[in-house]
Amino acid sequence: MKKGMIKVTSGYERFVHWMLAISCLLLCYTGLGMMYQELNFLGAITGGLKGLKVLHNFTGVVFGVALLLAIQMWWKEAGVFVFPEDLDWFKTAGGYLWHVDKVAETGKYNPGQKMFFLTIALFGLLMFVTGFFMWFPDKFPLGVEALRWIYTLHAFGFLVIFAFFFVHLYLGTVGNPGTVQAMISGWVTRAWLKKQHPKWLKEMEHEGTLIVSDGKK
Amino acid sequence: MAEKIKLYDDSKCTACRGCQLACKQWNGLKAGQTANTGTYQNPPSLQTNTYMMIHYQDYVDAQGDVKWLFRKEACMHCTNAACVTVCPSGALYYNKEFKTVGLNHDKCIGCKECVAACPFEVPRYDAKTDKVYKCDMCESRITNGLDPACVKACPTGALKWGDKETILGAAAKRKEYLGAVASTYGDKFVGGTHFMYVLKENPAVYAGLMKDPKVPFSVIAWKSWLKPLSLLAAAGVVGGSFLHYVLHGPKRPDPEPNDEKTEGGK
Repeated sequence: MKKGMIKVTSGYERFVHWMLAISCLLLCYTGLGMMYQELNFLGAITGGLKGLKVLHNFTGVVFGVALLLAIQMWWKEAGVFVFPEDLDWFKTAGGYLWHVDKVAETGKYNPGQKMFFLTIALFGLLMFVTGFFMWFPDKFPLGVEALRWIYTLHAFGFLVIFAFFFVHLYLGTVGNPGTVQAMISGWVTRAWLKKQHPKWLKEMEHEGTLIVSDGKK
Repeated sequence: MAEKIKLYDDSKCTACRGCQLACKQWNGLKAGQTANTGTYQNPPSLQTNTYMMIHYQDYVDAQGDVKWLFRKEACMHCTNAACVTVCPSGALYYNKEFKTVGLNHDKCIGCKECVAACPFEVPRYDAKTDKVYKCDMCESRITNGLDPACVKACPTGALKWGDKETILGAAAKRKEYLGAVASTYGDKFVGGTHFMYVLKENPAVYAGLMKDPKVPFSVIAWKSWLKPLSLLAAAGVVGGSFLHYVLHGPKRPDPEPNDEKTEGGK
């Protein structure tokens, strides 16, 4: 890695992220093919809708595992709001919506990222639980009236996660140039870190945990 | 060809179950081992290989007289069928001529969504074949000008198959003939069902008969609202992101004095 680059994610973090991301996208693809009859042709890759259903169900298991790993890994850092700095960040909307001279400095994850994590965690769990009972409706303990809402909740969870996916895609790539490298190589520039996570940079420098590439490999 | 209705008149039914057997025969359905639950009713409820059955019920009326109530249970063939609405693959569909609800097993993917959605709780799922089963009003017969097998077999005239207006008229006439507590059932629900009853007693006394069947609100919220909203929300986010990029601009790292490149990660 080029000299001066800073390591911000571990291999494990990137592995869990992509396990979650790829299973989530596959679930969106297979789910869309079954949700809209106009999109039934998406089933062509699995030899029909039945294959799409089977793929969807088992991908759901992978997604559930990835989600649990992600929650276990990130909830302490991204699942808890810290005041007052997070509130200050909200007041400026992180500098994303209007001109702000100085965005409040937050830790490793800013409140926007925390909201994203919490949304995926909660709605991901909702999808996993409702999906389980759609797969095994005879295991549902609360009767058919409540069971009917399971399907509606699953569709609502899709609405939220599908919309958030595009927010995530934009903010992780062109909306914040340089960010995507955190989930590809794991190395970012000091300038990026200073702009996006100034307080975290200071914390790591202070604690001596900053990993800077010496450019040898 | 016109919209048609199958009518069941319980006052004429002797519960001989000729219809139940004819249904099995025409549809090639096997018999199954069953359990004696102290009633003639057999099997206890609809099965993957029993598309229709006669319910037996001991009923004590207001005068203390014991009566036997019979009821033929099968798919009601709704005009607004929740099963057709939720079916992801088009396996469940409306018959174009008769407006009955057909089921194409080649297309069924065994998702079981119709099983939960049906307000009459009719479809049955078979884990072995991973498909759902229900009465299709003998589509192979009616499209060839024949009566459904159950109607054909009925020796007492309790079952009729005919044009919608004719059957509705006959049902109303029969209800009037049977007197005050008699009623018709099915014609008032889910846009009108294509299988309906004339009942000699008040519908409330029939065990297992749905009081107010309708397309579940959860199905409407799911299919009529959340489906289009999901695409709208995603399109809104994509459009919003584009506008954000061109109006507000991305958040780039500040240029460093001795750093040529301003973007991270490169």
